[in-house]
Amino acid sequence: MGRFGDSRVSPSLSPQVVSWSRSCAPPALGAHRDLHTTPVCFKTRAARVRVGKGDKPVTYEQAHAPHYIAHRKGWLSLHTGNLDGEAGAAERTVEDVFLRKFLYGTFPGCLANEVVLKRRANLLVICLVVLQNLAPSKLYFLIGYSETLLSHFYKCPVRLEVQTVPTKVIYKYL
Amino acid sequence: MAARRLGGSSWQQMSLLSRRWCLQAGSAGKREQNRYSSSSTTLEKTVENSEVTREEIVLPRRKTWDKLAVLQALASTVNRDPTAAHYMFQDDPFLMPRNTANSRLLSLSKESGRSAAKYIIKEFPQYFDKTTSEPNIPCLMPENLTPQIEGVSEAALKERIHLRRVKASVDLFDQLLQAGSPVSLETTNSLLDLLCFYGDGESAQEKQNEQKGDLEEPEENTSEQRSPKRQFQKSLNSSGFRWRENNNAERIFKIMPERNAHSYCTMIRGMVKHGAPAKAYDMYTDLLNERHKADVHTFNALIRAVPYLKEKFAERWALVKDFLNHMVQQEVQPNVLTFNAVLKTLRRCGGVGRGVSLSVIQEMTALDIEPSLATYEHLLHIFYRSVELQPSTIIAEILEEVEKRSFTPQDPDDANFFPTAMQACCDLKDIKLAYRLNKSMEKGDNWKFLDMDRLNAYWSKFFSLLCMMEQIDVVLKWYKEMTPSLFYPSTRSMFDLLQALDAANHLEVIPSVWEDIKQLGFSRKQDLLEELLSLMSREEHPEETQLAFAKCAEDIKAAHEQSGRDQAPLEWTGSALGHVVVLFSRAGRTQDAWNMMEHFQQINRIPTDQVMDEFLNCAKQTNCPDEAIKLVKLAASFGLPSTLKLKSRTEQEFELSEKQKNALESIQSDSDSSDSDSDSDRD
Repeated sequence: MGRFGDSRVSPSLSPQVVSWSRSCAPPALGAHRDLHTTPVCFKTRAARVRVGKGDKPVTYEQAHAPHYIAHRKGWLSLHTGNLDGEAGAAERTVEDVFLRKFLYGTFPGCLANEVVLKRRANLLVICLVVLQNLAPSKLYFLIGYSETLLSHFYKCPVRLEVQTVPTKVIYKYL
Repeated sequence: MAARRLGGSSWQQMSLLSRRWCLQAGSAGKREQNRYSSSSTTLEKTVENSEVTREEIVLPRRKTWDKLAVLQALASTVNRDPTAAHYMFQDDPFLMPRNTANSRLLSLSKESGRSAAKYIIKEFPQYFDKTTSEPNIPCLMPENLTPQIEGVSEAALKERIHLRRVKASVDLFDQLLQAGSPVSLETTNSLLDLLCFYGDGESAQEKQNEQKGDLEEPEENTSEQRSPKRQFQKSLNSSGFRWRENNNAERIFKIMPERNAHSYCTMIRGMVKHGAPAKAYDMYTDLLNERHKADVHTFNALIRAVPYLKEKFAERWALVKDFLNHMVQQEVQPNVLTFNAVLKTLRRCGGVGRGVSLSVIQEMTALDIEPSLATYEHLLHIFYRSVELQPSTIIAEILEEVEKRSFTPQDPDDANFFPTAMQACCDLKDIKLAYRLNKSMEKGDNWKFLDMDRLNAYWSKFFSLLCMMEQIDVVLKWYKEMTPSLFYPSTRSMFDLLQALDAANHLEVIPSVWEDIKQLGFSRKQDLLEELLSLMSREEHPEETQLAFAKCAEDIKAAHEQSGRDQAPLEWTGSALGHVVVLFSRAGRTQDAWNMMEHFQQINRIPTDQVMDEFLNCAKQTNCPDEAIKLVKLAASFGLPSTLKLKSRTEQEFELSEKQKNALESIQSDSDSSDSDSDSDRD
């Protein structure tokens, strides 16, 4: 949403621009200010819920901005791919994206919070917090289904650990 | 503000958790500590406080820990956790099963989820066959079950047999014969093996394909008529397919140009498996005529079929001996399954079996064959399950053998040993034997023989034996440890527990038992409720207990009045109502008691004298003369002979105002003037 494109404004643009910049420039000839722009990368808006009128319920996870990770928040995906000398970080990230979408669709309207993925050696542990609006037998059906399907898909043992809550745990209202 | 809200919701969840299995929490609080800190009781108090006023934060008291607390807490995690359900269930109060039916439902739904996933994997193998793991894990790859080799050839037939496609292989075989190309003996034998194993029905995969075919067919009348019939046939198939006359296996057998011993053996085994023992015996005589030798599996099958061939016990044993002699002549070595089959047949041989079984065991040890658990199970059956029960010490000897080692499964009947043994212990009413049996079950791999159903049966019987024989604190200790992790109590177990509590005069535990009953979902079982109410109301108890009992009675009343979604409301019986009135009266809740009294007319029952006396006592204590007068009116309307007595009691014990005295007098005139035969209406 920048007003300027993602390239440096060069002096050889349309004459209107040039004249405007010339008019703001100090009277010294040849010296003019360029406008330095950056790529669009809204670090100040990432993963932050904006303050509203006070009626928007927000969980603990959503209420804290990313700079609170490792201070007040933990990580949502735990693997060793980002350590020095370890490979496969990108593959893990792609797998994570698929897993989150898969679980969001398989448990429709039931996820109370973000899914936490933990990888230990070959094993993938998926920790869900689920609302109690499905019957337990239906939840077990979905759990058995997801475990088997994901194991066959990723060729590694997958285990689901589910915790249920009656309603979403609201931390504050923004 | 945020912290307060969070605090409120988590305390509520804590109180939900602490409500589970109150019997455990109650007795733990009373006796030795499960918690090693000092402030466990204050924790419960603060829970109740914060439920009442949500806006205050109540700070808990500082805990002081014992020096060894950490070690003790770690030590308690090493053994089996008595509060957890089976490992296959998720560890969450909403997702834990409540009773046996629920646990079966949840494990079956998990299993059906797995088969749904397997169906998807089979339908779309192209998404699952990339090998991203190193080394390759074959069990996580989709299976390739379509036959690759096309065309009419022997190799194609072999492949279809290998893939267990019964119908396809039979068709291909017929095609091959029609085309005139001979099929080798080996291939024909393997085709016969396939047919005899599946009994000419279809294997599981083909059944699935057929079911899918049924669903995909358009809605015509013929298909609708066919599908229920097919389902009926399928249920027959699964329960035990009947060997039809001249089915595929027999047909192929007859048209075989040459047959060897293997063909005869397969046919015999198939016939025995699928319920045609007479034919199997004829086939065996054919085999002997052709001077072939049968193998050990065939003999096992034949011995198993003996009870269906002969009726009299002596004849059965003679036939078994015949078969064993043939085995010796044909130089076939028996194995443990042979002896198990002999014992299984001896089970159906009554007294003859009992005399001979021990020599069978001696034969086994002479041949150096280790007995399996099924051997012992058959022995127990022979000696302990018959009608004329002669006392025998064989169970002690069996236990000695079983305690020594850990068994591996060798026979499908092995799994029945532990439940049968526990049943025998119950019949003999011997608790020490049961303890020994428990120990041997925990040794090594022996626990693996008990699946969920048998586990439940085993522990239920053990629990009823405990309730009968042991002291109440031992019973309660076992109860705490066994539920809900090892078994879910049935109504029968609850009855046993109540009886044990009654015998030990420990009735104040009943309110926590009632909580557990509600948890198990038995709160609508009429007989259990009656038993509870009669136990609670039989005698007078101290004040606290009486109040707790009254609360239980109120719960039971609520259970009666609440009608579930599809259930009719529970009917009150006269005795149940009477007990509830007595319980309310003893706790001093006059209004509730009067409400219950009014129910009597609705169900056309008459309260007993004891009930009315108790009610009057209660009214006197709480000083409600109006209620007393109402009681007398009620008694008069029922036309009870005790009306006069009640009236006189009311006049003497209560201080009545003028109006009340007049009312009382008028009742008298009513009952005097009415006939003793006719019912008088209420005014």
